[in-house]
Amino acid sequence: MNGLAEKMKYWNPYLGGTLLGVLLFLSFFVTSHGLGASGGVNRIAVAVEDLVVPEHVDKTPYIAKLAGGDRDPLGHWLVWEVVGILLGGFASGLLRGRVRVQTYRGPQISNHSRWVYAFIGGTLMGYGARMARGCTSGQALSGGAVMSVGSWAFMFAVFAGGYGLAWFVRRLWQEA
Amino acid sequence: MAPFDLVALLGTAGSYLVYLAIGFAFGFILESSGFGDSRLLAAQFYFRELRVLKVMFTAIVVAMLLVFWSTALGWLDYDQLWVNPTYLWPGIVGGLIMGVGFIIGGYCPGTSLVSAVTLKVDGMFFLLGNVTGIIIFGETVEFINSFWNSGYLGVFTLPELLRLDTGVVVMLVTCMALAMFASFEWLRRMLYGSEK
Amino acid sequence: MNIVQRPEMVGAAILLLASGALALHGQPDLDQKWEYLAPRYEPRLMEREVYIDPAELLHLMNDDYIHLVIYDVRTESDWNEFHLVDSIRMSLKSLKEERKRLRSLPENAVVVVVSNDEILATEAWKRLMVVAKPNAYILEGGLNLWLNIYGVPEEETDMHGKASLGKPDGTLRHGFKLALGDRHAAAQPDEHLVPHREYTSRVKLMKKIARAGGCD
Repeated sequence: MNGLAEKMKYWNPYLGGTLLGVLLFLSFFVTSHGLGASGGVNRIAVAVEDLVVPEHVDKTPYIAKLAGGDRDPLGHWLVWEVVGILLGGFASGLLRGRVRVQTYRGPQISNHSRWVYAFIGGTLMGYGARMARGCTSGQALSGGAVMSVGSWAFMFAVFAGGYGLAWFVRRLWQEA
Repeated sequence: MAPFDLVALLGTAGSYLVYLAIGFAFGFILESSGFGDSRLLAAQFYFRELRVLKVMFTAIVVAMLLVFWSTALGWLDYDQLWVNPTYLWPGIVGGLIMGVGFIIGGYCPGTSLVSAVTLKVDGMFFLLGNVTGIIIFGETVEFINSFWNSGYLGVFTLPELLRLDTGVVVMLVTCMALAMFASFEWLRRMLYGSEK
Repeated sequence: MNIVQRPEMVGAAILLLASGALALHGQPDLDQKWEYLAPRYEPRLMEREVYIDPAELLHLMNDDYIHLVIYDVRTESDWNEFHLVDSIRMSLKSLKEERKRLRSLPENAVVVVVSNDEILATEAWKRLMVVAKPNAYILEGGLNLWLNIYGVPEEETDMHGKASLGKPDGTLRHGFKLALGDRHAAAQPDEHLVPHREYTSRVKLMKKIARAGGCD
């Protein structure tokens, strides 16, 4: 990556990983569960849906569980963790001057293309995360640390999917 | 003995503050490690940048060691910890879909939050897509309901699967992680020389 | 090995050592776990909060709403002489294999442990708490008391249905003419036919704490 990580002054990944591991442990120790992200995003999305189309929410079983009738999808720790993630990410970016409107992309494609691909990737991710009942934070990191077989299987599937497709979409990321 | 009943100790609002703090630390570490940067994340899948592998597996091994040392010393009650139940098939298929989404979109849900909040436009589009995918799932899951609940093995742990002691499994995972670091690093050098 | 730098090698060595030491140290066994958990549960035993009267057990047996699981932790010969209908014979050692079943019990489940007096059952209860923390209770006075109340004297040899409870020592103090197991009348007394007996109800139904921990 031609020194990209150094130029951006990102932490050594082993250091970041160790700190994250300690945080993950503390999370289990204090709260009995690990970290999570997609569940919080899920609930916020459902909450917005509930504002716009409440009758539909009541009728669809999967979302009714979260927001049907009187239920408040936002009254759950995952939502607060997501808010925290936003604040923490912002704080870190602010401290190092990385809060800047920008589009990260491979050199061969344009900003607009990148946005489209980001949207498509995001959609797949959102769908896949619900199917797997978690994302890399909730399932892979947290489930992995407490030895859940499903989480490990999930983790390897994610890597398999990514590596499997990588060569076919290299134009998105690689130099010419 | 940990873990604690947070709501009983601190009230609902207090417990939410704890999660807020945890999330804050999580987001801070992610951004500082460069996980708000899709270029670095995607580069993992070309063996060019290994921080996804390194951060994830270091975190898992460190957390695992801390958790199981704590249970060994009687400080923590493993039975009270949330262990994700295993739904084998949707887990694997969902994982594959997420892998594809990862390499196309360049983020995962947690990292896209960090990216979007530092005003990266691709992160914002990813997040929008994430919400869209969630909505699509909610609308269509009833059609794949039996698949979505298939392969249910309950709370199924690696020591149970391998029929080994917990401590031995932790050691195996640690060795595997270290071996992966070394071999991926070697692969990286082979493919790209010794550039940093 | 110039692939990885010095501090990372140190880190790797630390992780390996920590995991090796963990494997050697092992995880706590049942007795150790009880030591760690005892402060939480001893008071409940001391205060007799988890000992239920035979009449309450009889009520539970007839309550359709309750999912009742009775563990009988006595010897096989005692079991053959007499045991309660629908009870499960379990040795202390095999309790830990019940973990999966116990953790998937429904919200309305109640577990009752019985032995001849209370000694064995109390031991078993402690192990259940360590293994799975179910909503579990101990039969007060054991089956000796049960048979005093609900036993049929004609079926017994010399106690005429009234064993002296005296100093509990864990043996079955009712002798039966025939070892009928659960086919004795007292194995499933008819709640309407036995004399009414007052008791303090101790069984509480626990609402399953919905710990949705994952990204769900």
